[in-house]
Amino acid sequence: MSHDALGAALAAIVGERQVLVRPSELLVYATDGLPGYRKQPGIAVFPRTRDELVQVVRLLAREGVPFVPRGAGTGLSGGALADGSVLLGLNRLTRVLSVDAENRLAVVEPGVVNVHLTRAVAPYGLHYAPDPSSQAACTIGGNVAENAGGPHCLKYGVTLNHVVALTVILPDGDIVTLGSADGERDGYDLVGCFVGSEGCFGVALDATVRLTRNPQAVRTLLADFTSMDAAARATSAIIAAGIVPAALEMMDQATIRAVEASIYAAGYPTDAAAVLLMELDGLEAGIDVDVEKLRTICLDGGARAVRIARDEGERTRLWQGRKKAFGAMGRISSHLVVQDAVIPRTRLPEVLRLIAQIGAAERLSVCNVFHAGDGNLHPNIPYNANDPDESARVHRAMRAIMRACVDAGGSVTGEHGIGLDKIDYMPRIFSPESLDAMCRLRAVFDPARRANPGKVVPVRSCREWTQAPATR
Amino acid sequence: MSGSLPTAKPCAIPDTPLAHAMPGLDTCVHCGFCLQACPTYLALNDENDSPRGRIVLMRALVEGDLSLDDPAVQTHIDRCLGCRGCESACPSGVPYGQLLEATRATLTARRPLPAVVRLALGVFARPWALGTALAMGRLARGTGVASLLAGVKGRLGFAFAMLQSTALPIKRKNYTARGDGSRGSVAVLQGCVMEGLFAGTNRATARVLTVNDYRVVAAPGEGCCGALHAHAGDLETARTLARRNIAAFEKSGAELVAVNASGCGAMMKEYGHLLHDDPAWRERAERLASRVRDVSELLAAAGPRPGAALPLHVTYDAPCHLVHAQHISAPPLAVLRAIPELQLTPLVDADQCCGSAGIYNLVEPETSNAVLAPKLAHVAETGAALVATGNPGCLMQIGAGLARAGSTTRVVHPIDLLDASYARRDA
Repeated sequence: MSHDALGAALAAIVGERQVLVRPSELLVYATDGLPGYRKQPGIAVFPRTRDELVQVVRLLAREGVPFVPRGAGTGLSGGALADGSVLLGLNRLTRVLSVDAENRLAVVEPGVVNVHLTRAVAPYGLHYAPDPSSQAACTIGGNVAENAGGPHCLKYGVTLNHVVALTVILPDGDIVTLGSADGERDGYDLVGCFVGSEGCFGVALDATVRLTRNPQAVRTLLADFTSMDAAARATSAIIAAGIVPAALEMMDQATIRAVEASIYAAGYPTDAAAVLLMELDGLEAGIDVDVEKLRTICLDGGARAVRIARDEGERTRLWQGRKKAFGAMGRISSHLVVQDAVIPRTRLPEVLRLIAQIGAAERLSVCNVFHAGDGNLHPNIPYNANDPDESARVHRAMRAIMRACVDAGGSVTGEHGIGLDKIDYMPRIFSPESLDAMCRLRAVFDPARRANPGKVVPVRSCREWTQAPATR
Repeated sequence: MSGSLPTAKPCAIPDTPLAHAMPGLDTCVHCGFCLQACPTYLALNDENDSPRGRIVLMRALVEGDLSLDDPAVQTHIDRCLGCRGCESACPSGVPYGQLLEATRATLTARRPLPAVVRLALGVFARPWALGTALAMGRLARGTGVASLLAGVKGRLGFAFAMLQSTALPIKRKNYTARGDGSRGSVAVLQGCVMEGLFAGTNRATARVLTVNDYRVVAAPGEGCCGALHAHAGDLETARTLARRNIAAFEKSGAELVAVNASGCGAMMKEYGHLLHDDPAWRERAERLASRVRDVSELLAAAGPRPGAALPLHVTYDAPCHLVHAQHISAPPLAVLRAIPELQLTPLVDADQCCGSAGIYNLVEPETSNAVLAPKLAHVAETGAALVATGNPGCLMQIGAGLARAGSTTRVVHPIDLLDASYARRDA
C-alpha cells in the first residue's frame, strides 16, 4: 500500500484531522523527551476511541505496516520514535473508564495523563502511586510501556507493582486480556511480561491499575550537606537503619542552582554541595520517631541542617523543585544529555566520585539529580552542541560513566528504558543467550516484529534474524 | 546514550527577528511539561499546536528544515493564542511570548497578514478610525441592536454578543472619591477598547485609586498600547504606538502608570524589549516599563480599603496576561476580598485561557470556541452570578460565550465591583 493510500485508509477510520501525512507536520514527532535523536514518522495517526484504535491496528496488521505507539512523547530513551513508519498517537484516548474506590482500582485508557488519574480519584482519598517527574505530562500508557518509576517508588514500587490487568491489542490485531482485576493471577505473569516491554509487545487498550490510600501522615525533610560523599553515605545509613522512606532523593549543587534560578525555586540552599530530599509517610502514630531518627542520621553524617516542611505549601514547593529539575537544566547551556543508570546503593559514594572525576577530566559540568534510595542515578550534562570538541567530550564522558556504573555491578537503565538510546549497551550487560531469549519472548507477542521495530534488543542478537522471516 | 547528540546547524534566515531569538529557543530541553498547560494542545491534541512543537517548528525555520512559506507552519504558529500559560509551567524559562512575536514578525515580512487582521490592526492604530468604530459599537449596544443580533449564528452574532456583554451588569451610585494622595501620583492608561467600550471602568479605576490614596493625574496623548500589533507580528506599528505612550506618560510626570487591562499591562511592561534595538528610545522604554503596574497591584499594596457590603455571588477568572505574563495572581483576589459579603467561589482551571487572545476569536473562531467551551462549563459549575476578570478581551469572550449559551451569568471587571462597593459606602 502506498503512503498516500495508507493515509487515506487511516483517515477513513479516524477522520482526516486525526491523520498527519505532510512531512512539515510530522517534524514535531521526530523527537521525544530526548532531543538527541531525530527519526521522522511517515504517517501519524491519532485514534480517539478504542474502536478506532482497534481498527487502525488491524489495518496496519493487514497491510504489514510497522508502527510505534506514543503517549505524550516525554520518554527519555528515544523509545517513541518511528523511523519512516506509522506513529500511533495514543494521547487522544484520555478517559478514566471506571473508578472502584472500594477495591481501590481504576480502569483507564492509555492516554490518561498520570497526574490526571490522581486528580480523578482524589475525592476518594486515593492516589496513583507511581509518580515520574514528568507526571504532569506523561501518560499511563507510556508509564506501562517503560515500567516508569518516580521518587515515591522507593516505598511503593514501580508501575509494574500497580498494574493488575491489561486489555491488549496484539500487533496482529487479536485482543487479549492479561492478568485479572479480581485477585491472584493464575498461570504465568503475563502482565509482568507486558509492563516494560517498551511498545514492542502490542498496545494497551486499557489498564486496570491499583490505587493507593493517601497516607494519614506525611513528613518531608530536606538535609543540607557540604559534600556529595557525606550525602551518599547518609543514604546508605538510612536504609541500613531499617527505615524505608517513601522517597529519598539527592540533588547536587549544579542542579540546586538551576532549580533555584527557575520559577520552581524551592528554597534549596545554593551553597550546599548536595541535598537529600526525604519523605516519610504512614500512620501519624510513631512517624515523628522516624523523623527524629532520620534527622539524627543526617546530622551525624555531616549534614549542616535538616529542615522539615511546615505545611503542604512548602512540601509541594520542595517536590516541584525536584520534579522540574531536569527541565530547569535547560537554562545552564544550549543542549542537555539526560542519563539513567542503576548501581547498588552501597556503592553510591565511590561511583559519584568517579562520575565527578570523569566530568572534571573532560572539563564538563555534571548535574546529578536522582533517586538515591534505590541507587538510580541521573547524571545529566548541559553543554553546547555548536562546539564539536565539547560534544566529543560529552560523548566520551557519557560512555565512561555508563562503564563505571556497569563495572560497579549496575545496569544501564533504571526507569527511562532502553529504547534507541541504550540499545548498543545491551550486548555488554546480557549474554547472547539472554538476548536471544528476549527475542523469542517478543516473537510470542509480535512474531513479525512490527511493533516499535528496532528498539530494546539489537536485531542482530536474535538468532533467527538471519533465517527465514518469522512465520505464525 | 550510545551515539546521537543534538547537533547545531547554520542559520538559514539570518537577520530576521526569529534568528535573533535563537538563544531563547536553545533554552528548551523538550521535556514536554508545557503540553498540559497549553489550551490549543488540550483542545486539539497535536504537538504542532503545543509550545514544545511550535518551538521545534521555529527551530526548523531557523535551521532551514522548513520554509517560511510552508502553509502548515504558518497555520500552527497562527493558531497559538499567545496566552503564555506555557511560561508558567516551563522549568527552563523559555521566553515563549518573545519567541512567538519574533516568529510572527519573521513570517509577516514574507506574507501579508489576513485581510481581517490587517483591517482590525489598522483601525486600532488610528485613533479616529477606532473612535468611530467604537462609537458605532456603543450605539449598537445602547439601542439594543447588539442584543438583538447577539443570537445570530456564527462570528457576526458572536461579535454582537461580545459588544452586548460590555454593558455594566450591576447598578452603581454616583459618589465623589476622596483620598489623601499620600501613595504618590499615578496616570491611568485609558487605552483604546477600554475607553471605547469600558469607559465606566476607566472612571472607576481613577476613583478606586483615589480612595486608596493615590493621586491620579491625566496623561494626554496616550492610547492603544500596541499589544495586538506585536502579537500579530506587526512590530513596527507596535513600536510607533509604544513611543507615543512613552512620551505621553513621561510628560504626565506621574510616578507610576496604572493599567486595568492586563493585556496592555503585559505589553507595556515589555516596552524595553520591544524597543531594545532603538538606541534613542531603549532607555526611556525601560524606564517607563519599570513604572507600569496592574491596577490590582497598586490596590493590593494599599490594602485595599474595604468598601460597603455587596452580597453578590462571584467567581474569578485570571486573565492569561495577568497571571502568566505578569505573574500576578493574588492581588485581584485581594481586591474582591475587600468587598464585604461578596461570596467568592473558586473557578476550576481559572488560569487557563478563555480563547479570547486579542483578535484571535475573530480569526480562529473554531479553536477559540474549543478553548472557550471548558471555561464556560467550569463557570456554570460555580453557580456564580458574575465572572470577574480584568481584561477587556476576556470579559467580552466569556460574556459572549455565556450569553449565547443562554446563561444568566454576566461578566464584570473586579474594579467595577470594588467601585460599586465604595459607592455604597459613600452614599
